[in-house]
Amino acid sequence: MSGVRAVRISIESACEKQVQEVGLDGTETYLQPLSMSQNLARLAQRIDFSQGSGSDDDDAPADGDAHDWAGTGAGPGAEQDEDEGLVKFQPSLWPWDSVRNNLRNSLTEMCVLYDVLSIVRDKKFMTLDPVSQDALPPKQTLQLISKKKSLAGAAQILLKGAERLTKSVTENQENKLQRDFNSELLRLRQHWKLRKVGDKILGDLSYRSAGSLFPHHGTFEVIKNTDVDLDKKIPEDYCPLDVQIPSDLEGSAYIKVSIQKQSPDIGDLGTVNLFKRPLLKSKPGSPHWQTKLEAAQNVLLCKEIFAQLSREAVQIKSQIPHIVVKNQILSQPFPNLQLSISLCHSSNDKKSQKSTTEKQSPEDHLYVLEHNLHLLIREFHKQTLSSIMMPHPASLPFGHKRMRLSGPQAFDKNEISSIQSTEGLLEKIIKQAKHIFLRSRAAATIDSLASRIEDPQIQAHWSNISDVYESSVKVLITSQGYEQICKSIQLQLNIGVEQIRVVHRDGRVVTLSHQEQELQDFLLSQMSQHQVHAVQQLAKVMGWQVLSFSNHVGLGPIESIGNASAITVASPSGDYAISVRNGPESGSKIMVQFPRNQCKDLPKSDVLQDSKWNHLRGPFKEVEWNKMEGRNFVYKMELLMSALSPCLL
Amino acid sequence: MYVMHNSEHPLSCFALFENGPCLIADTNFDVLMVKLKGFFQSAKASKIETRGTRYQYCDFLVKVGTVTMGPSARGISVEVEYGPCVVASDCWNLLLEFLQSFLGSHTPGAPAVFGNRHDMVYGPADTMVQYMELFNKIRKQQQLPVAGIR
Repeated sequence: MSGVRAVRISIESACEKQVQEVGLDGTETYLQPLSMSQNLARLAQRIDFSQGSGSDDDDAPADGDAHDWAGTGAGPGAEQDEDEGLVKFQPSLWPWDSVRNNLRNSLTEMCVLYDVLSIVRDKKFMTLDPVSQDALPPKQTLQLISKKKSLAGAAQILLKGAERLTKSVTENQENKLQRDFNSELLRLRQHWKLRKVGDKILGDLSYRSAGSLFPHHGTFEVIKNTDVDLDKKIPEDYCPLDVQIPSDLEGSAYIKVSIQKQSPDIGDLGTVNLFKRPLLKSKPGSPHWQTKLEAAQNVLLCKEIFAQLSREAVQIKSQIPHIVVKNQILSQPFPNLQLSISLCHSSNDKKSQKSTTEKQSPEDHLYVLEHNLHLLIREFHKQTLSSIMMPHPASLPFGHKRMRLSGPQAFDKNEISSIQSTEGLLEKIIKQAKHIFLRSRAAATIDSLASRIEDPQIQAHWSNISDVYESSVKVLITSQGYEQICKSIQLQLNIGVEQIRVVHRDGRVVTLSHQEQELQDFLLSQMSQHQVHAVQQLAKVMGWQVLSFSNHVGLGPIESIGNASAITVASPSGDYAISVRNGPESGSKIMVQFPRNQCKDLPKSDVLQDSKWNHLRGPFKEVEWNKMEGRNFVYKMELLMSALSPCLL
Repeated sequence: MYVMHNSEHPLSCFALFENGPCLIADTNFDVLMVKLKGFFQSAKASKIETRGTRYQYCDFLVKVGTVTMGPSARGISVEVEYGPCVVASDCWNLLLEFLQSFLGSHTPGAPAVFGNRHDMVYGPADTMVQYMELFNKIRKQQQLPVAGIR
């Protein structure tokens, strides 16, 4: 405050009166200021006489309010004074006192402010430190411009992203037509083993990893297909990847196993019967390289099978040597029967496609055996990887584990042969073919007999469960209408590789060779025996007595097939007897024995004196069997029996 | 050391010393010996072999062979084997009886192999020892062929 010049302040009180109204032309009419008495009355109204001195507090803020109006006018100032005069007992000051006080206070304040600012300006004892405060809101145009800029930046980023997305979508659509080489390669890798050698990609389609020992390399090459013209429309089946298979595995192949009745001339051998089987339909959706590779793998497998078979055909000694000519192996499992195994490999040249296909009968090609060959070679593959072979020392050849001990433990020939499986692929397939042939021939024999002969009926029940080398059939010989009575002939035929073993119901075992005539003869003899057995059973039912029965009679003409059987039965009363002789060739002969008193042309003799002897049975008379009523033998026999046993009352 | 082969055990090779151990090995043993050629000297004696027919009579195995050394025949060897028995002492009497039936007076006595180990299990090595003794005997003889029977 020292050294501060005195400040002159001029104050003028605004003697303004309150406006009552403003006229239309702008003139103002003022309120007349309150006169002294009016003022007093107003103030008196405001006094609350009930409160007394306790009203000091209430009135203090009213004072404060009154003070605030300090600089506004004399009217309020006058009120102030009077307020003060009434409420507080204060010495009345001159009207400008409050104003003066306020001014003085403000001057003080200003001086202090001025001092502070001068000290702060020196920055020696005090500095101004700005307080972070909200930025002042900029002007509107600035705001607009900055918003526009930031929006443009965001839009820029979004547009860039959208552009990228549209580009990738269009690329994908393009790629559907033009598949990427790498993605195709990935698909190829899922199915086949590939490896990279230099700058070539090679693959392996041989069975070596599955245990095969075939020396074919079986490698295919994967090449990029670049011969597409981008200007033209890309074809539907376009593939950027192509596989190149070895030239000797091209096309398709299969092994044909067939059995022929007649053996061809030697000159005919070597006529390679190649013809195209319709190509296997590839799975829809599988790429063309998959079908190509699968076909090549099949060709390789067929080659391996054929190589193994031909090797065995040459090496293994058999009674009838096998002939290996070009792509055919011929062998004779049975006399007059020829088995031919041939490798039919047709490449996809145009030449072979034009050649007409040979007419072949569907029964000729034994598909079962072809399938079995595939299975057998796979079996062989698995054996090389089985635990009895692997792991093996590097210095020893592939073989059974126990063979490694054969040297140090001095195995003799029996022991060695027991370890090694002696049967090769060829022998197995020949055995299977023999069995199939024998079975079909046995079935044909039984069927022909069944269709030819009506009287005893022959039924064959083939077993569902069969082996590659063995099947069985149950043959029943019955008479129609009398199945429950005459069921004594039941035969179980076990058809093996070279023989048929028959087991009879009564326990007899008969071994038949592969000749079909033997089976036929045997069945015929059994049929004739059945007739006689039927009579025996019938006699039991009808009450007739069996006097004699023989399965193989030694009397009468000799049969060329089997033996004749005979039976004699007598009626319940004893009057009549029927004698039956049945042979496979000679047929049936039935004689009836009558009592003596019914025969007219008997020589009278003196030996028999009593008439009771005339009740005995006498001579025989033959029955004309073919004129007999009845649809089959047993029916006729029943009628005869019933005719000969009269009902007596 | 003698290296011998027996067609009865086609995949084995026998290497034996006199009065010493007998090794039964794989056929690769021959190849091994060829490779070890530098480390030993092969005896000058030429190869002896006996070759003949093999007869099987129920449980008996009879092998009659001609012993040849080089181009000249030196003798006849007869081998009788009784299959079911592996203990020598149990079946020697049976063998003797069998031999007597067709050899008559030439029946030999019990082989030396049986001497020490009568009750031990007989093995192919014992057969080879017997053959070795027989061949040595034949080798020592003069040119005149004498029937040596074992």
